[in-house]
Amino acid sequence: MPLSGLILSALLTTPALAMDELPVLNLDNPLRMDFSGSWEKDFRRSDNWEDELNRIFRLRQEAANRDRSTPYSRRANQGPAVTLGNLRLNRGRGRGANIVDLARLAEYISRQSIVTIRQNREEVRIERDGDADLVCGLSDAPMTPYTGRYGAELCGWERQQLVFEITLPDDLMIIHRFSVAADARSLRMVTSVISKGTNSFTLITVYNRYDAPADEFDCVQTLSRGRVCSQGSLQD
Amino acid sequence: MQSRLTSRLTATVQRQGVGARGIAVGLALALLMAACATPVPPAPRRIPAPAVGEVSLIRSPIEPAQHQLLDIGVVIFHNLPDQFTLQNSTELNAGAFAEIRQNETQYLPYVLRNTLIDSNHWGAVRVLPEPDPSVDLVITGAIVESDGLALEIEIRAFDSTGLEWINKTYADITQSDDFPDSSRFTASNRFDPVNFVDPFQDLYDQINNDLLSMRDSLSEQELINLRRVSQMVYATELSPESFAHTLKEGPGGLLTVSSLPADDDPMMRRVGDMQLRHHTFIDTVDQYYQSLFDEMQPVYVTWRHYSRDQSLENQSAERQIYEGGVYGNAGNFLTLSQRYDRYRWAKIYEFEFAELASGFNNEIAPAILELNRNVHGLDGTMADQYAQWRKILRALFALEVETSAGEN
Repeated sequence: MPLSGLILSALLTTPALAMDELPVLNLDNPLRMDFSGSWEKDFRRSDNWEDELNRIFRLRQEAANRDRSTPYSRRANQGPAVTLGNLRLNRGRGRGANIVDLARLAEYISRQSIVTIRQNREEVRIERDGDADLVCGLSDAPMTPYTGRYGAELCGWERQQLVFEITLPDDLMIIHRFSVAADARSLRMVTSVISKGTNSFTLITVYNRYDAPADEFDCVQTLSRGRVCSQGSLQD
Repeated sequence: MQSRLTSRLTATVQRQGVGARGIAVGLALALLMAACATPVPPAPRRIPAPAVGEVSLIRSPIEPAQHQLLDIGVVIFHNLPDQFTLQNSTELNAGAFAEIRQNETQYLPYVLRNTLIDSNHWGAVRVLPEPDPSVDLVITGAIVESDGLALEIEIRAFDSTGLEWINKTYADITQSDDFPDSSRFTASNRFDPVNFVDPFQDLYDQINNDLLSMRDSLSEQELINLRRVSQMVYATELSPESFAHTLKEGPGGLLTVSSLPADDDPMMRRVGDMQLRHHTFIDTVDQYYQSLFDEMQPVYVTWRHYSRDQSLENQSAERQIYEGGVYGNAGNFLTLSQRYDRYRWAKIYEFEFAELASGFNNEIAPAILELNRNVHGLDGTMADQYAQWRKILRALFALEVETSAGEN
């Protein structure tokens, strides 16, 4: 016998009043810029890692030249590099990876030419081909979206910029800083790679918004049947 | 107002140097960095309770004597909120894993219920949302740990006199052959519920055997008294003013029957009627849990299989990091990119595992909804409805007694 029948046969009680389920404005989450959309890399406006590396070397060279021309400069008194084979003997100890390797790493981790960002009232999710999504909440409180065996991730907001700090073993840190232009037509990702808190390299990637075809299907993940999709949204 | 992280992030890495960064690193990040930079020994699997090992369910080949057929209520389990639960969850994914654990509180009791019935030693065995005054023995459980690799549950069992039958933590660990060869069930590879044996069946068998051992230690008279107490406890639940005097606390705080109404007592007859209706109700409640169990079982088997693989993978990776050989010390591009790739893939796998967890929840959501959906006349979850039902029965009993008194 169904439960409803049992209940009715036992006693008639007054059904509770149905309440309209109105959407509730979430005042805990501050307003954020809309990052959502499909973004493609603007190669012209983005840094080229080799050009950026050359620029840094040029600046360093100029600084070194200035140091040498200053009589009591510390660097001027260091003397020339002493090398034995490929070992530089008078180089300081405990320094991080060299800037060329950091530059190559920065290019490696920001190589995607397409970025898709989904944003709702709770979180922003940055999807990049071949890489793990970067996900952060919209509230002011900092989040730890991921902590694993091989690294930890921290995210937060600096005004309207979305910042991710990824800490990897051996004091290697990656910082992604996302900002969207006021006209919402371009997205800027500043990626900094820092080794042992000393050496760093920063690469700027600029993306332009493009119109990706709308999703034709509503999909839901299931365990036994994988992704199950329907064409519900088309009919709306 | 700026948060600590936000203000820390304000000191941004400049294009030409990292001077400001040294100031920017806060305590939280330092801890994270330290945790990542220094491999720690992998934590041993937390099974403080010894695993039950291989257990055979003691079955009764014949129908037990009437006094031995105790009615049992298995209350849906609850979760222990400790640091060992939900090991896979990160801040983002915690919800999906917590939901699975919540669903397990309704699934695992049903495995125990089936085991008890299978043993053929007991009366009616039902899964209930809360302890029920109409049954002889109530079993409660708290899930300490549950994944595809290990299950650990604290079990307590009390009879209606208040005597504790079991207060013990049971644990079991699965082997690879505890799972079907393929848990990817399709039209050509259907899940076979009849021949499926739960990977942790030994644990449930052990609980049954312990209960049986306790029952067999009681004399026939003690069991008869226990059933009488159950009857009067239920009568007192319906009408304390009429029946409370029939029970008294004996030595050790255990309830005994001090006076028993006559068999033809009209009040007791009404209690019997009410108990019959109540049992019909809790049978229906039990059927709802069965529907959930039937819906959830094949998906849950798949989930546990994934979960076991993930747990073993985690353990293996932790060992590998601790034993060295994962990271080179060189700061060249190859080493740096390997570090990033390991992090990247570990994160991708973990997010995929969390997505599987969400997939599990999505798949059984209709069954959960069915269990908790509103029915005519009652609102709220199954537990709420159950509580309302008991109130209704009490009110109905009072009404019948008043009517009867008025007629006399």
